[in-house]
Amino acid sequence: MPVTYATLMTTEKTQAKIGLGVSTDAEAIRAARDATRDALFKLAGCKPGLALVFSAFESGAANALKAIAALLEDTPIIGCNSAAILTNKGISTSGAAVMLFAFPEGVYCNIAAARDIDQNLTHSSGGELGDKLLYGFHNIPRDFSLFFSDTSLATGSMLLEGLQDKLGSSFPLAGACAAQELHLPKTYVYYNQEAIWNACAGVLWGGKLSYGFGSQHGWKPLGKPRTVTSATGNIVHEIDATPAVEVYKDYFAVDTQHLKKDLRRISIFYPIGIHLAGEQEYLLRNLLSVLEDGSLVFQGSVPQASQIRLMIGTKESCLEATRLAAADAKRGLYSSILKPRGTQGVLIFDSISRYLLLGRQAHREIELLREEFGPDVPLAGFYSQGEQAPLHAFGYHGKTYFLNQTITAVAIGM
Amino acid sequence: MANEYLFNILGITLILAILALVITLWTKMEKIKELQLITDNLKRSLNEMDEQAKLIVRTDMELNKTQEELDKKITGLYTLQRLSRALNTTLEENSIFKMVDGSTLQDLGFERAAAFLWNHNSREFVLRLSLGYQNEQSAVITQTVNKDKDWYNAVIQRLRTVSSLSLDQDKALKEKITRLFLADPFIIVPILPKEGDKGFFIVGTQSPEVTITEGDEELIAILTNQLGQALENARLFEDTWRAQQDLENKVEERTQALSLALDEVGRISKRKTDFISAVSHELRTPLTSIKGYASILLTGKLGDIPPEARLRLEKINRHSDELTHLVNDLLDISRIQSGKVAMKQEPVNLHTAVAAVFDLLAVQLKERQIDTGLEIGQDAAFVYADANQLSRVFINLIGNALKFTPEKGKISVRTHLAGDMIRIDVCDTGCGISEDAKEAVFEEFYRVDNAINQQVKGTGLGLSLVKNIVEAHGGKIWAESKPGNGATFSFTLAKPG
Repeated sequence: MPVTYATLMTTEKTQAKIGLGVSTDAEAIRAARDATRDALFKLAGCKPGLALVFSAFESGAANALKAIAALLEDTPIIGCNSAAILTNKGISTSGAAVMLFAFPEGVYCNIAAARDIDQNLTHSSGGELGDKLLYGFHNIPRDFSLFFSDTSLATGSMLLEGLQDKLGSSFPLAGACAAQELHLPKTYVYYNQEAIWNACAGVLWGGKLSYGFGSQHGWKPLGKPRTVTSATGNIVHEIDATPAVEVYKDYFAVDTQHLKKDLRRISIFYPIGIHLAGEQEYLLRNLLSVLEDGSLVFQGSVPQASQIRLMIGTKESCLEATRLAAADAKRGLYSSILKPRGTQGVLIFDSISRYLLLGRQAHREIELLREEFGPDVPLAGFYSQGEQAPLHAFGYHGKTYFLNQTITAVAIGM
Repeated sequence: MANEYLFNILGITLILAILALVITLWTKMEKIKELQLITDNLKRSLNEMDEQAKLIVRTDMELNKTQEELDKKITGLYTLQRLSRALNTTLEENSIFKMVDGSTLQDLGFERAAAFLWNHNSREFVLRLSLGYQNEQSAVITQTVNKDKDWYNAVIQRLRTVSSLSLDQDKALKEKITRLFLADPFIIVPILPKEGDKGFFIVGTQSPEVTITEGDEELIAILTNQLGQALENARLFEDTWRAQQDLENKVEERTQALSLALDEVGRISKRKTDFISAVSHELRTPLTSIKGYASILLTGKLGDIPPEARLRLEKINRHSDELTHLVNDLLDISRIQSGKVAMKQEPVNLHTAVAAVFDLLAVQLKERQIDTGLEIGQDAAFVYADANQLSRVFINLIGNALKFTPEKGKISVRTHLAGDMIRIDVCDTGCGISEDAKEAVFEEFYRVDNAINQQVKGTGLGLSLVKNIVEAHGGKIWAESKPGNGATFSFTLAKPG
């Protein structure tokens, strides 16, 4: 596996600031330049210590990154290309959002990437990313980490576990897998000037940085509880000692062929929920495919003996979840012992399923986020296909889980 | 005895214990039965709830499908409205198809589109829009469409929409179109502008989850109709624009030709002026000699002259004066036209200037009993002009009036303010001039064909000289007259300060 050298940034003494630049131009290079210039302008002369780049380019991502790097010189860059970007300005299926971070003294960050992820050894790729992120962090207290992956992985559960093995199982982690939907031919992970497929990239922060997480989906349980009687990783073979597919066939009164035809809609609207003791919400798992033997493949692992329910979501419950996630993130940020001055930036990882469920009301999520954080707080993110965020309940010790269908907000303050 | 007593007690105790156990067991059994009943009830309720959940899920799924359809239609209508507005402002045929872009197509719920227009010259379909296809794919599609052009032309002729929905019976044809355009479902609609080449528009998607309805067909038909109308408008505009361009080109050509002709006229006029100037100069010297010698002979210093000879010499002298006058006028016109005469402009009192001319001509005026009048209007007493040249203007105009005014007639001069200029009218009660001679009188050597002119001699240069002097001052001159009702010669000059 090729070696990717991590870039440790020890920030100069400067003012803490987050600048967001957005362009919805369909031409990649122009959009990248415009967004970067805009973000630099918002930094008002402060030196950027990190650039997060989220884009919805149909093509030309690599050249766009070169254009960004030319304007930012040696600033480390990570991010990804997804179906649509989310910013204060709304949802855009074209263009780019560039979020630049100028750190005060005592804040450190390090970026890294792991490439050529072996589909059977995603756990080790997660470990590799963890090792690279930790490089240079020996005597520095580490705070939290963000990481992104492309759609080459069916599930990010194993990648997350690999990363947790290195960073600690309860280490605060958040991230998402880019969504390849709508118009997009392919997703990429950004690492400095490279747009990489079949890879993951992350950033590890340390020092005086405050953050707060909020993650909710809004789906509610329906029907009687069932038990997973046979499962391997993200494949569920049997539920209540019958082939897993029977549950869906029974609920929707369709045969396997029709189920496969309507799979996308069923996956979005009716995932399964795993009951987690003490958690407000069930842990959702989207149905990805139906195997010949009647097994169901889900996006994310489903432990054997889990109690599961069929879940149902509505536009209202979905939007209420958005409001709750934003409030949780804000509460988390302000309960930090560092007492941040305010929310300086918000990162949003929003499941593409929510976009498809909300349809014409999708923009309401941005409005709710702006209402919660304030209209001028920089807000950037993308539509995802699987999110990672810590669970709330005490019993989970803040451990990050691979989630489906959620909106995950990360509020940052310095 | 004691043992028997003990056995009895034990027996009773045992019986009682057994009895108690039986009662307890019975009670527990009852409890279990009760719990079993509750569990069964719970299970039944749970199953009933699950059955209700199934109904809810199925209904919810139907509702979601309907909602999706509705959302799709609303988005489609918005897109159509946006596109219509854009198409209405597009008057260039090449830009029309560019209005349909990937985002529009996506909003309409499709991912691929192509538009072909029939070219009557090459007798084949030309690809005008290709979305969602690589260049090579577009080339193959165009080639195949032209192989089957009869079928596509038939679709256009029959004015009908063809879709994967309507071709459900003709599986082979549906499969053929699906394979060619990589789309199932698809909708093909004819593009039918009233004028010019027609064509067809196809949209489609490869997503198996997308189904089309008659509503989708109608939506695409409306869009295609808009495309047809936009094409029609663009073609009409192009025709109008072309006609206008032709007209403009023709005007340009004519203007150029006229400009050349005007230059030529200018060149000829200059040559004529130069020629007249040269000839006049050359005539002046011998004329002076002729007049000088004739005058010497007439004095009799060179000997007595017989009366016949004197008569002839006097004629020579008079004709020499006339010729000198003509040559001087010609030279003045020539000088003014070539800009060689500098107008010494200063405020000139019009009353004084006109009165001086009336004085000069007093004998003739009195002899013919012609009345004169001078009306100086308010703020029109002075003009900004060369006094000598202005005097020549009045001499010529009043002299001319005198020539054509019958006995006991009247010549009057009126001045008045006309904007930022002073207008001077010289009016007579003479025979007047005809309509067609009003402009010609200012031409060199032009003489009005009337009885008076046949009797009175003239060079035909006086009014031409006047016109040149007035124009050299930046003024204008014109004549107004009705035959038999006198004539008015008006001219304008700048007012002082």
